Amino acid sequence: MEATRANPHFLVNRSRVRLFGLSFDDCIRVFFGGNAVVSIIVLGLITFFLFREGSGFFGQNRQNLIVYRQAGLEYVDFIRAQQDDHTALTRYLSDLRLRQFTYATEHAPMSVAAANASLARFDDFAGQFGDTVEPLRTLVSDLTEQASAIKTKFTVMEDKKEERRQLLDEGRAGDAAKVVITPVDFAAELKPILGTLPAYRAASAEFAQGLERVLATAPTLPTPELQARMDRFKLHTRDYLAGFPAVTTQLEAWDYTKPVPASQAFTSFIFGREWLTASFWQDWYGVIPLVVGSLMVSLVALLLAVPLGVGAAVYVNQIATPAEQKFIKPCIEFISAIPSVVLGFFGIAILGQALRALSQVSWLSWVPGFPYSERLNILTAGCLLALIAVPTIFTLAEDALNNVPRAFKEASFALGATRLQTVIKIIVPASLSGIISAVLLGLGRVIGETMVVLLCAGNRIAIPDFTAGLAVITQPVHTMTGIIAQEMGEVVQGSIHYRALFVVGMLLFFLSLGINYVAQRIVRRYRISIG
Amino acid sequence: MSTPTPSHVFQANLTPARRRESLIFGLFGGATYLVLLCGALVFGTIIFKGAGTVFQAKAPFINTSFLLDAPESLHVFQFEGKKMELGDRAFRLFQAEHPEVAKLKQESYIYSAGGIFPCIVGTLLLVVGSMTIALTLGVSAAIYLNEYARDGMFIRFIRLAILNLAGVPSIVFGLFGFGMFVIFFGWNVSLIAGWFTLAFMVLPVVITASEESLKAVPKGFREGSLALGATKWQTIRKNVLPYALPGILTSSILGIARVAGETAPIMFTAAYVVRDKLPWQVDKFSDFFFQGVMALPYHIYVVSSKIPQNEYTERVQYGTAFVFLVLVAMIATTSIILRNHLRNRYKW
Repeated sequence: MEATRANPHFLVNRSRVRLFGLSFDDCIRVFFGGNAVVSIIVLGLITFFLFREGSGFFGQNRQNLIVYRQAGLEYVDFIRAQQDDHTALTRYLSDLRLRQFTYATEHAPMSVAAANASLARFDDFAGQFGDTVEPLRTLVSDLTEQASAIKTKFTVMEDKKEERRQLLDEGRAGDAAKVVITPVDFAAELKPILGTLPAYRAASAEFAQGLERVLATAPTLPTPELQARMDRFKLHTRDYLAGFPAVTTQLEAWDYTKPVPASQAFTSFIFGREWLTASFWQDWYGVIPLVVGSLMVSLVALLLAVPLGVGAAVYVNQIATPAEQKFIKPCIEFISAIPSVVLGFFGIAILGQALRALSQVSWLSWVPGFPYSERLNILTAGCLLALIAVPTIFTLAEDALNNVPRAFKEASFALGATRLQTVIKIIVPASLSGIISAVLLGLGRVIGETMVVLLCAGNRIAIPDFTAGLAVITQPVHTMTGIIAQEMGEVVQGSIHYRALFVVGMLLFFLSLGINYVAQRIVRRYRISIG
Repeated sequence: MSTPTPSHVFQANLTPARRRESLIFGLFGGATYLVLLCGALVFGTIIFKGAGTVFQAKAPFINTSFLLDAPESLHVFQFEGKKMELGDRAFRLFQAEHPEVAKLKQESYIYSAGGIFPCIVGTLLLVVGSMTIALTLGVSAAIYLNEYARDGMFIRFIRLAILNLAGVPSIVFGLFGFGMFVIFFGWNVSLIAGWFTLAFMVLPVVITASEESLKAVPKGFREGSLALGATKWQTIRKNVLPYALPGILTSSILGIARVAGETAPIMFTAAYVVRDKLPWQVDKFSDFFFQGVMALPYHIYVVSSKIPQNEYTERVQYGTAFVFLVLVAMIATTSIILRNHLRNRYKW
């Protein structure tokens, strides 16, 4: 009896299970809490794994650039650039020829043969102009071979090193010792290339003379407009000629031992204008063409989607009858459920052709870029992406409009404003922050969209030609998302190309986080409420 | 003076301002219906052109071989003045009977004959697996956020993470899944890698949906239960979850549509271009999780980009798109209808 008094006997006497000092209820709470943390963990893991796979890129890219310099590829590219500029000039000439030809056949009606005959003198001039580069071309092709040979030697050496390393890893030291590694003596290897400098000087001088001589024989063209073009061509050529000494000094000053700064591995990625992989000469990983492609496609998509999405939101929220609302909202939700790959297929199978056919209708030829021949281009992809962005923009903008306090509208009506004035001057401005963030989230959706751009943007890796003006939207591009989807399956794991794709993914990831952040800030900062 | 006099007092006066108003409102309405028209156009085209593949004039009216066979190559050739279009198996049988066929000029198109059964199965498996993971994680997270958490730094941080996770592009999830599950964990291209990748992608949708449903359960339900002496967990299990569950499930169906529809995340984590075996034809039980599968969205990508477009390939292209679109549309419709139904049912 005494004992029970000391330990009072409760009616409810359930032994509590304790785990690490936690009661059952605590355990459950911790379990749920743990699941809530998953989203943070996933976000962290995404960052980590993108960095893990991508971070090696910059080191490899620097190595890539160092080899580019040490093997003399950079040296050869100076001369090649000179040659390429000449090619650009000849292209200008052939464009000029086309203009003359069109002029001859359309304005001064001539048969095709007669038009060609009238251009004989011009053709002669163009042909001679094209031939002047010959001495340089021979030199470049020789040097290309030599430099590639050095690079190949270096690659072979690297492969051998890798082989030895692997053998050592497997513990086969004997076999490893047998792998002969002949280090590449760049100084000795580069000697023949550097020795061509006098030859280059001679070739360049001959080239310059040839250009001068040919330029003096330039024909005069029939119309002032064409002649102006010819004069511009002459001016370009003179500028080009004036640049020759600069190339020579560049070549003289070139030194293969000059170190490649670490920052260049980064800048050549961020500001690089070329994305060139699996090339026999030199791979470039410049992200600009992809970023520009993504932005162009998104811009076209938003230009279409913003008026439609916001217009529809205003209509449904302010103007439509309840019956209409009940019909339209689920329909737009339905559109958002269309899988992007189906839209992409629709673009390839139908929209691409339809838009091209539309562009070839004669009374639409005033539209910039019409008619065009590439079926898959910025415009096609943009139109489809607009359909993806509209539901996002619509839903969020409609929410924002819904959140405008009723009193605003009533006050406006009470002051005698019409419905239109109320919508345009009160409701929309009041919800502007929400609408802007809706547009931004739409942008995020469009930039991250993969399948549509992969299937419909044309996949040409080049910065679109902005000199074409608005017609630029009818050119094919490649995008950040598209390149990852397209090339990821084909690359060797751990190669520089593989890592480059992860870095592009990283860029996309941070871009989307940034857009999200700005959208949230705008909503929070400019939220309007009563009182 | 110039405005026409109304025939009765209450008739609207068509002033220029009013005319401008109706014009601009008309523009807004036009934008709305243009969007709907575009959506209907996409739906209509795919359904109209794809119906030819999936349905047929004879009983049972549904082209069962398209739905239940594996993809095959299509062989097209002229034989004794007739144009023959045969799938791989039929072609081999035919060749055994008529050996001279081998010498005939023939064209072949991959994936253009047979059906898409492995793709349908693969997509279903991916959806079921990833939704199981996503629902487990998502509902638990939502319970924590709505029932247990006090507002503070930590919770705000979690919400921020969820919000940001929702904005991450699907291809980045694909890269992440590839880097983590396929390479780091060494799971290779497999169902399980695809499950986790898709589950993480759809997690924000599930969490948001679940939280909303939990919020809709009145506070009094919890207070009543707690007042009777139930523990927190008993309250949640008996008095909150049963009322929130229908809402959670229906809202999550929208997540299913997303999981089924995405191609980019499974491209390098789970999808094979072609696979002869069906998922259940495995040697060991554990192999089931570590096998790649064919999936409808990826199959559409393959047949629309890797094979030419002509009258022979069109059949499978539109057919696959049709089946896929109908599948996703059905899921979306179910979700929308169920949600509306539910809104009317629980009112307290």
